[in-house]
Amino acid sequence: MIKLRGIRKSFGRQEVLQGIDLTVEKGEVVAILGPSGSGKTTLLRCINYLEKPSDGTIHISDFTLDCKHAGKKEVHALRQRSAMVFQQYNLFNHKTALENVIEGLIVVKKVSKDEARKRGIQLLEKVGLGAKLDAYPSQLSGGQQQRVGIARALALEPEVILFDEPTSALDPELVGEVLAVIRRIAKEGITMIIVTHEMAFAQDVANHVVFMDGGVIVEEGPPAELFSNPKEERTKQFLKRYTPEFSYSI
Amino acid sequence: MEYGFDFAYVFKYVPKLLSTLDLTLLIVAGAIATGLIIGLLVALPRLYHVPVLKQLSMVYVSFFRGTPVLIQLFLFYYGLPEILKLVYIDVTRVPVLYFVIFTLGLNAGAFISETIRAAVTAVNRGQVEAAYAVGMTGYQAFTRIILPQALAIAVPVFSNLVIAMLKETSLAFTLGVMEMTGKAQSLGALSQHFLETYISLAIIYLIISLLLERVLLLAERRLQRHMRREQEKRSWFGLRRVPPLNRLTRELNLEKKEVPSYEA
Repeated sequence: MIKLRGIRKSFGRQEVLQGIDLTVEKGEVVAILGPSGSGKTTLLRCINYLEKPSDGTIHISDFTLDCKHAGKKEVHALRQRSAMVFQQYNLFNHKTALENVIEGLIVVKKVSKDEARKRGIQLLEKVGLGAKLDAYPSQLSGGQQQRVGIARALALEPEVILFDEPTSALDPELVGEVLAVIRRIAKEGITMIIVTHEMAFAQDVANHVVFMDGGVIVEEGPPAELFSNPKEERTKQFLKRYTPEFSYSI
Repeated sequence: MEYGFDFAYVFKYVPKLLSTLDLTLLIVAGAIATGLIIGLLVALPRLYHVPVLKQLSMVYVSFFRGTPVLIQLFLFYYGLPEILKLVYIDVTRVPVLYFVIFTLGLNAGAFISETIRAAVTAVNRGQVEAAYAVGMTGYQAFTRIILPQALAIAVPVFSNLVIAMLKETSLAFTLGVMEMTGKAQSLGALSQHFLETYISLAIIYLIISLLLERVLLLAERRLQRHMRREQEKRSWFGLRRVPPLNRLTRELNLEKKEVPSYEA
């Protein structure tokens, strides 16, 4: 279970997160929606401390970190409990697909090379890249790179996988293959937090949807409820923009 | 005394000069090795903004980049023993060769540190983030992810430095080291056929440079193999020259796009 309490973050004078509370149950898929600048990516990056929150506590399964007094060790321990899939993939450019997937296993989890390779090959098969084990990221399409990124996250067997707009950098034709992989692993009961602009996907895959704006959580709930019957005015307004089929009535 | 240009001397002197090639190469290797270690050590404080050390490394780099190598050699050879005398260390018996290697090493270190610094900065910020997200420590991220990529970016510049160093070794003769140029001086003085000696000397430097260039190109292609679009195609002695420029500029653009993408 993941619990965020009172997460605050400022860039200079601007407070982009104004005390976020969020609870994610084990096995739950949470989608975070919201306009650009709402703080959703920052929130996600706070969970693995790529951004340092100015205040609040982060709790992942058995580990609690108080952002006010977190040292290197605590941050390191926190990061071991999550994995991230980036908008720009961020695969290690000098490593092949397989090496990308097993790098964390070997260096961080200290798994033996043979064992790691076996796991890596299985995972790449799973994301449909069994034929690309030795390809470098520069030789892969965006969609393929992102699937390697997902395999890399899965390899670590984290408590939670954080997806930071995983399909935003992809052209429309490649979005599908990545979403398909994410949906497949969602069904396996892996806890995931997904920041996304893919409304239909969020509705389809998430068990819980969070709508953020201006550094606060405006509304949250099950997708069926939030999408069809939003309570807050701001949520209605936002969803209207993203579901144009409802707004075309003349 | 009548002087007649005799081309035969050019060929005659080549093997004689080659007999001192090992010394020249030793100076190059020693200076570059020293330079690599110093360069890395000096680049780190600037990359990680360590107070005091950062300023010191800036002064060091300015000095070695801003003064002629010849002057540096003189300063270290004549000045260092005097300074060390003050703390009762006697280096007057240390062979000149060590001074030369040490000074040229310090000189190379200044340039290498700048090269490393630029290369590390050029590695995409997302790479570090990915390393952290995987659970690596700062040290692991630097040695396993950043440094190998930075080296790949730095090799072309580094190759230039090595070849420049080959030629700078010729300054060692001013301190009396009998490397190739020193040897050429004395051969020329003996026979009075200076021009022929210098021609053979130039030919040797040129050939060694070309060879070094080839070897370094191979290293470059090996280190940058991940930057190529297509899978490895074997070619004769790695002579197929594909400038990695396209790939590099494309990566730099990517970086530009990525940095501001995290909405605040």
